[in-house]
Amino acid sequence: MAIGKRKKITVAELDRIRRRGAGPMRYYDLVRVSVREVMRKRRRYIGVLASIALGMAGFIVIITMGNDLKKNFNNDLDLLGGATIINVMFEPQNLERQEWFRDRTLEAIARIPGVLDITTVTLKTSAVTTWHDRLFGFNLVGCEANYWKVFSFNAKAGRLFDQRDVDEGARVCVVGADLARQIFGSEDAGIGQTLSIDDNLYTVVGILGGVRAGDRALFVFLPITTAKARVVGISQPYSAYVRCATWDDVSSVSKAVPGVVKANQIDRGLRVNVAWEPLKQVQRIFWWVELFIYSSIVATMILGGFGIWNIMMATVTSRTREIGLKKAMGALDSDILYQFLFEALCVTLSSSVFGVILGRVGIEYMSRMLGSRPPEGLFVFCLLMGLGFAAILGVGAGLYPSIRASRMQVVDAMRYE
Amino acid sequence: MSNRYDINDDNALVIDINHLTKNYVTAAGQITVLKDVNLHVRRGEMVAVMGPSGSGKSTLLFVLGLFQPPSTGDYQVAGVDVLSLSRDQQAIFRREMLGFVFQTCDLLENSTVYENLELPLIYAGVPRRERPDRIREALSMVNLDHRVHQPSNRLSGGERQRVSIARALVNEPEFILADEPTGQLDRENSLRVLEYFTKITEEARTAMVVVTHDAMTAEHCTRKCVLTDGYLNG
Ligand SMILES: Nc1ncnc2c1ncn2[C@@H]1O[C@H](COP(=O)(O)OP(=O)(O)O)[C@@H](O)[C@H]1O
Ligand SMILES: [Mg+2]
Repeated sequence: MAIGKRKKITVAELDRIRRRGAGPMRYYDLVRVSVREVMRKRRRYIGVLASIALGMAGFIVIITMGNDLKKNFNNDLDLLGGATIINVMFEPQNLERQEWFRDRTLEAIARIPGVLDITTVTLKTSAVTTWHDRLFGFNLVGCEANYWKVFSFNAKAGRLFDQRDVDEGARVCVVGADLARQIFGSEDAGIGQTLSIDDNLYTVVGILGGVRAGDRALFVFLPITTAKARVVGISQPYSAYVRCATWDDVSSVSKAVPGVVKANQIDRGLRVNVAWEPLKQVQRIFWWVELFIYSSIVATMILGGFGIWNIMMATVTSRTREIGLKKAMGALDSDILYQFLFEALCVTLSSSVFGVILGRVGIEYMSRMLGSRPPEGLFVFCLLMGLGFAAILGVGAGLYPSIRASRMQVVDAMRYE
Repeated sequence: MSNRYDINDDNALVIDINHLTKNYVTAAGQITVLKDVNLHVRRGEMVAVMGPSGSGKSTLLFVLGLFQPPSTGDYQVAGVDVLSLSRDQQAIFRREMLGFVFQTCDLLENSTVYENLELPLIYAGVPRRERPDRIREALSMVNLDHRVHQPSNRLSGGERQRVSIARALVNEPEFILADEPTGQLDRENSLRVLEYFTKITEEARTAMVVVTHDAMTAEHCTRKCVLTDGYLNG
């Protein structure tokens, strides 16, 4: 019979036991006991769990989708001021000294990090057309098919010419809204009509629309190939528009452009125009939005942290007898410390697991809304960061209460009623 | 001194206390609760410590359990000078050599009988596979082996106290300290608990110190001491 089995304990033996210390099994047991404790008292942890999980989910969604979100915001806000469009051009000079963009320069600019798209235009400022014996003057622009996308233009009526029209050099044109009204009486009336410009006939396929179309209400647009081939006196493509992915890229792209141009061709008269004022406005707006989002996330997390701290402190007090009892049963200070620490960690880690799941759902939902794919690498990074943060939160908020619990004198604990 | 403790001697001296004093410093000044306490308990002995409320019974029990140090004096358990041990050494000594039974039948809330008995084994680093047998054996000493997986809050008062006795036994202690073990039990359950105490001291030859002010409990002990004015007589 084991009970009553004699063991001789000497001081050396005690030290041997102490040095043997805590093996993996002991930690396993302590974790198991802590998890059990939390599971059985899960009711009191629900508030903390929810706030940490929400904070974590928000954090993950913002970090992972932040860039996609920005791009989206960008599209919406950008319409107001073209904040992310950079105009790169060669100053008008004497004809023989005038520089213009070579294809390889445009390709090189398109490769600058942060550049979403680049489009170039040719221009004739004093084009005329006659319609029913009346004369109309306007600016004639030869542009590429991506011109519309760069400026977020759309068709107010009809359609905007596309890559096929450009490739074929089709004789079609898009007309600015005011000009269409002057010529045809209304916007819709122009669609399908034939305009004569410099003795060439072009079919009107669409009327220019979009938030910024007002600037170009008196323009006529031809496919750049058509313009080059048919319009006498049209300029070389000395002006290009670079669209940046987000407004944070504008500065770096605008700095990089001159070097790239110089590396590919003569850069005489090169000018880079950035709409700094609208850019700053947009950035200011978004800065506040970001500040608001991040501070609410941080606030939720801090609330969660305080919640843990609070619960753990209350727990230590309300479980004084239990602590005394466990010490009476021979728990070392470290056993008590680990038990409480593991409990805090168990709460924060399970919160973060919920948070990660919630965040994942949010990312799926949002990327479906934005029509983009969630960057998986970033998600994994967030997942690891979330778990790391949960660990820090658990240790940070749980350590002091745990130390207090472990340092508790057994007498105080046993005398406590 | 330590040669007085013989591991194979069924009547070996387990608790050896000489000239123990304990003072408390309070706002009103220093009070001496234990003035000169001498206590010697052998294997198989069950000693009752009696005394009126406030006489220092709990104080003595806490000193015996290594929960607080005495002011002066000498205290050896099974030949080990326990007062000179460090905090961790004392904790290890407690879990290897001491068992406790408290008045309030403190069981861990929201846990089963098994989990209550497993905890001392976890602290003592007993391998997992050895635990069920040890726990069942301890429970069978108090005839509760059929309740192993019962939640502890579904036990009656008497059963709870028997579980805490089993928990005190599970680490095979050299001596057991009990603080008013029958204080909250009716007569019938008290008798049962005392019978188990007697059984434990006789079969396992465990030394036992029972703090009580209940005469019936004291009658069941092999020896009776009374704490008066800081002296232990009897
Ligand atoms: N931590 C302490 N500080 C000061 N006085 C104490 C302390 N603990 C106990 N006492 C006093 O010591 C005396 C003995 O208390 P106690 O050992 O609890 O007696 P009993 O258990 O016999 O009722 C009491 O007068 C009590 O007020
Ligand atoms: Mg008392």
